[in-house]
Amino acid sequence: MVQLASGASVSERLQPAKPVLSWVTTAARVVLAGVLIVAGALKIGAPALSVQAVRAYQLLPDSVAQVVGYGLPVLEIITGLLLLVGLFTRAVAVVGGVLMVAFVIGIASAWARGLRIDCGCFGGDGTLAAGQDPNYFWELMRDLGLLICAAWIVARPAGRLSLDSALGFTGERETADKDGSDGEDDAA
Amino acid sequence: MSKRTSEAARARIAAQREALRKQEQRKRITMIVTIAVIVVIAAAFTVWSVRQGASEEATGSVAPVTVEKDGTVVMAKAGVTKPVVDVFEDFQCPACKQFEETSGSTLKNLAAEGKAKVVYHPITIFTEEPTKSNSLRAASAARCITDGRQWLAFHDLLYKNQPSETVSGFSADELIKWGKQAGVTAPDFEDCVRQQRNVAAHQQFSSQTMTAQKLQGTPTIKIDGKEIDTNVAFVPSSLRDAVESAGK
Repeated sequence: MVQLASGASVSERLQPAKPVLSWVTTAARVVLAGVLIVAGALKIGAPALSVQAVRAYQLLPDSVAQVVGYGLPVLEIITGLLLLVGLFTRAVAVVGGVLMVAFVIGIASAWARGLRIDCGCFGGDGTLAAGQDPNYFWELMRDLGLLICAAWIVARPAGRLSLDSALGFTGERETADKDGSDGEDDAA
Repeated sequence: MSKRTSEAARARIAAQREALRKQEQRKRITMIVTIAVIVVIAAAFTVWSVRQGASEEATGSVAPVTVEKDGTVVMAKAGVTKPVVDVFEDFQCPACKQFEETSGSTLKNLAAEGKAKVVYHPITIFTEEPTKSNSLRAASAARCITDGRQWLAFHDLLYKNQPSETVSGFSADELIKWGKQAGVTAPDFEDCVRQQRNVAAHQQFSSQTMTAQKLQGTPTIKIDGKEIDTNVAFVPSSLRDAVESAGK
């Protein structure tokens, strides 16, 4: 009897209350992951270009731009892959959200300073081709949309089809802090 | 009776606790292993990416450099006529500096190995100040140099000292200083730089080149007349492969 009851409570714990919403989380994960993986993959093979694209913003000191140019594509790909499989979903979604905030700040500041650059989001050296105009508005809209995806995932991890559930990582948080309520866990 | 049940219950609770503890432990191990795997994958990506960006060591030997009348500069071993690698660049353009830092040594090596005829086309693409005047001063000064070796050294110094796009730079004094560093001894070099004698010729050459070559920007690299992708130009190993396969 007890066994059965506890078994039922375990499966209840692993399955969020509203199944439709957990599918929304999954969809948000796929969208954010897809964009991050593509963006990272298009840049990682030519890091010198990636560095140049960062420099085009004229925001960071040269040594930092170098690190960001090399590191960002790797971070994007890893973040994207983890979101896709749903591993450490909430923490990774926070990283994804922070990236989007950084991109929004970068693009908005380039726009505000009147720079004429390509965002370099999906490769390139940040320069516009002759006769091409900056596309700041839609770049910002896209990144804000992705920021909403990230925020949703942070609020309602990990969604269906996630390794977090499969490996029991989502269950752990709730069982680990026995004295903590669900509300506290959400805030964590 | 009641004592027995409570003992049994206690045992059951203990067993459950133990099971839970084991479960937690397993979870922790899974988590550590997972994180380790992620770190290894991230490290592998990073190493590969760093290799992609790595510049070639300049071998030191440089193919003969010739300053042509039309403003282009040819770097090739005697008798090497193809493949032709055209480099369209602007001394003030930051991406050109990045190209020079990343792939400049590859082009020098390829020319020294007799695997390519490299042709530099310094142009001015900027239309606004201060970048336009910076570029014109530098390119005009480069045209004051007739010796190929000196020109190449000057070319490298210009990129090394490239000013920001927001300030007035490449002053006559600086250009003369770098010219001397590059080994220029010609007596009229200083006057030539100060008077910007070659600005008109350079501007004409620039606009002609941009129209004829249908340039979208700088740097543009062409191998045997065909523009190559920046993902090749800025990856030294890919650039080398592209030039070598064009030479076959």
